[in-house]
Amino acid sequence: MLLDVLLVEDNPGDVRLTRETLRDANKSIRLHLAADGVEAMAFLRRESPNALAPRPVLILLDLNLPKMDGREVLAAVKADIDLKTIPIVILTTSDADSDITRSYQLQANCYLTKPVRLEEFETLVQSVNDFWLTKVKLPNVPNT
Amino acid sequence: MTGVPSGADNAGGREAVKSAPTSGRSVQIAFASAFAILLITGALAYHSMGVSSQSSHWVEHSYEVSSSLDNMMLAMTSVDADTRGFVLTGDETYLDSWRSGVSDLERYAVIVRRITSDNPNQQTHLQTIDRLIAERIHVAEGIIALRRTQGLDAAAQALRTGETQRIVTDFQQILQTMHTEEAGLLVGRTTIAKWRLRQTKIALIVGTALGLLITAVAGVGAVRNGTKRRAAEAARRDSEDQYRTLLDEVHDYAILMLDVTGRVMTWNSSAARIKGYDAEQIIGENFSCFFPHEDIERGRPEEILRIARENGRHEEQSMRLRKDGSQFAASITYTALKDATGKPRGFSEITRDLSETKESGAKFRGLLEAAPDAMIVVNERGEIVLVNLQAEKQFGYHRDELLGKMVNSIVPRGFAERLVADGLRSAEDALAQQIGTGIELTAKRKDGSEFPIEIMLSPLRSTEGVLVTAAIRDISVRKDAEKHMVQMENKYRGLLEAAPDAMVVVNDAGKIVLLNLQAETAFGYRRDELLGQGMSNIVPAGFPERLVADSLRSAEDALAQQIGTGIELTARRKDGSEFPIEMMLSPLASPDGVLVTAAIRDITARKRSEAQLLEKVEELNRSNEELQQFAYIASHDLQEPLRMVASYTALLARRYKGKLDSDADDFIAFAVDGASRMQLLIQDLLAYSRVGLKGKELVHTSSEDALRQATRNLRGAIEGSGALVTHDQLPSVMADEMQLTQLFQNLVGNAIKYRRAEVPRIHITAEPNDAYKWMFSVRDNGLGIESQYFERIFGVFQRLHKREEFDGTGIGLAICKKIVERHGGTISVESILDEGSTFRFPLTVCSGQS
Repeated sequence: MLLDVLLVEDNPGDVRLTRETLRDANKSIRLHLAADGVEAMAFLRRESPNALAPRPVLILLDLNLPKMDGREVLAAVKADIDLKTIPIVILTTSDADSDITRSYQLQANCYLTKPVRLEEFETLVQSVNDFWLTKVKLPNVPNT
Repeated sequence: MTGVPSGADNAGGREAVKSAPTSGRSVQIAFASAFAILLITGALAYHSMGVSSQSSHWVEHSYEVSSSLDNMMLAMTSVDADTRGFVLTGDETYLDSWRSGVSDLERYAVIVRRITSDNPNQQTHLQTIDRLIAERIHVAEGIIALRRTQGLDAAAQALRTGETQRIVTDFQQILQTMHTEEAGLLVGRTTIAKWRLRQTKIALIVGTALGLLITAVAGVGAVRNGTKRRAAEAARRDSEDQYRTLLDEVHDYAILMLDVTGRVMTWNSSAARIKGYDAEQIIGENFSCFFPHEDIERGRPEEILRIARENGRHEEQSMRLRKDGSQFAASITYTALKDATGKPRGFSEITRDLSETKESGAKFRGLLEAAPDAMIVVNERGEIVLVNLQAEKQFGYHRDELLGKMVNSIVPRGFAERLVADGLRSAEDALAQQIGTGIELTAKRKDGSEFPIEIMLSPLRSTEGVLVTAAIRDISVRKDAEKHMVQMENKYRGLLEAAPDAMVVVNDAGKIVLLNLQAETAFGYRRDELLGQGMSNIVPAGFPERLVADSLRSAEDALAQQIGTGIELTARRKDGSEFPIEMMLSPLASPDGVLVTAAIRDITARKRSEAQLLEKVEELNRSNEELQQFAYIASHDLQEPLRMVASYTALLARRYKGKLDSDADDFIAFAVDGASRMQLLIQDLLAYSRVGLKGKELVHTSSEDALRQATRNLRGAIEGSGALVTHDQLPSVMADEMQLTQLFQNLVGNAIKYRRAEVPRIHITAEPNDAYKWMFSVRDNGLGIESQYFERIFGVFQRLHKREEFDGTGIGLAICKKIVERHGGTISVESILDEGSTFRFPLTVCSGQS
């Protein structure tokens, strides 16, 4: 069974790195990509041209995005009765207290700072896989 | 009407009674006739005197005329002689004499004309005389001119013509005629006078005889008229009663008669009561015994009699002596008495005892004498009627020299005007007026010296008319003081002008009374535009409040206040523009009330520089903040690309190591190393910028706890090196605990890192530096630092060692410096190479703790 994960990230370098490390960690992950907040919301709400988009089991969300930033996406998802049960992991370069506090206030499920060193990043991604995609029990929502 | 006998009545009264033995009409007529005859006789006698004196006058007159005529003849002869003298000798002195002769001649002609002006004949003769004099002078002048121009011979020839001789002869003849005429007149006049005198003598003899005859007839008539005597007696008693009643009325007055030399002739009961002498004791004595000793010495009694004789009357208020030697204030009137022929017969003296007659009078007098000012009482005619001792002293006159004197002789000007002005006021107004508010005049002493006075008048209605009491105060001293004040004011003004600030003096009504040049300049007004104006014209708001506030303070407080601490207000210039001022007020007591001196400083420049400073500080703060923000954002945002470089070089190395050539492997290794160092630098820079940006509030913090946390964080390093970290008891301080922990961590970490071969020993102490600071020391036995690097080591990314020896970016001490500075102190180092270093920094004592 494929695990649909939505990565909301505008930096292609990070996208590639995340994709590579996730694939190394778990072969059954199917990664979907949104380059900004607007695309992310369109995907989640299956708006055109995403009418057939699957409901992801996890959202990896960067905070600094063009058009609609990660905080707004977070707020919009958690305000949506259908989407709010999808766990959101904030994956960002910022370690500002204000960002951390704000994210949890908006009911982010987890806040992670991207490490600079490659090995650390790989470790981090593996632990996300181990926890959020392996151990965590999520509500059973019919994938309509 | 019982006709009580009049025991001690005055002699005059008794005489009057005896001279009227009957009241018969015939007697009255007889006496009237006798009186009429005596009058006629008197008139005749007077007339004869007039005639006699007239006759002697004519004799004198005739003598005067003839002597003037003789003088005229002499002058004519002298003129003639002088003319000849000059002609013969040519000596000019003759001419001087000649000229005086001519003027004599003319002068006597004038005199004769005047004294014979009643005689037409003589006046005609005088015309001839005038003509002859004119001719004589003319001829003489001609001869004198001839002598000067043509010499002796021609002049002598002219003299000999006989022209001059004819004139002199004519002159003599006319004078002789006038002599004769005057003599004739005298004879005629004397004859008439003699005749008149003879007639007068006859009339006198007849008149006297007639008078005697009528008196005799009247005497006989009176005896015969006995039946009418009782009625006459009743009438006499009636009149006597009235007279006595009159005397009772004048109970307060001693009434006595003096003869021409001042001897007492009569005495009444009031006189006995007031003066203490019985009639028999005093009659015949001189009235000078009523005077105090010093007055007698001054010859005052005689002087009074003289004045009374000359003026007919003399009034004075003065001291008098009783028999027992006591003195009393008296008002005395002396009246000169004359008999029917006008011959002085004596004087009447009416004395009123002022000390006794009225209690209030005595009090008044006492009050007057006790007054500190000179007091004078002036009657309606401007005569001084009462003075006190002060007045005597002030004006240098004796009391009775002042009494009766006109007030303008001691107050030359202004008194009369004052009198009028004060007279228009009611007595209440006058009383209400304080002496201090009287007007100022000049008074004159007896010696003629003048002095300034203040005078206050108050009218007093009395039986003698309106009396004016004048209180006179010598204000020379006060005037001097005022002059002194003016001098002081000038000095004060000088001071004011010298002041660097605008100075304005304001009175208690808020009006400007004085200002300096700086004030004129500052406010753009001319001095006269501001004087008398309200302070609100130049300081629209706040001044009255200031005034009140400052008035409540003592002068010492005000003086203690520095101008710099004055409050700030806004002032307005004449052109309406406003500017900020600082004002300091200081009260000044003066004779015109409390004056307030306001020192006003234009603080425009200071305000501007203050504003500029504030602006600069704000700018600096903003720029600092921006810099910190920049450092933070820069290091934060740099992380992103750095992570890309680091991650992908790492990925590159992992996937392609050994698959490319050896150069490629080296290059990848350098790239990976550079990326990770870059990463460290950025992280350190971020940490450094966070000290300012992420700092917490300084609160009570246990420095021991902070140190404990730091050593816990350093556990790996401490255990690895075997370092001994010790400390004394450490105090609580005002600090950001995280930063204090970091401070200790960096310092202890450095001490371990830069250690020598021996076991690292680190000791931390804190000693009180002053009442507010603890001085912390972190001492180690490490490598030590050369003194030239003491400053440098605290710089950002400053390193003293090669990277191969010690890793690290060199940010540690820079962060320490910044933390200490943020806590209000400065970090310093003392170190000896190869022995160790001591880092010191102060921290603030917790409040309430020493």
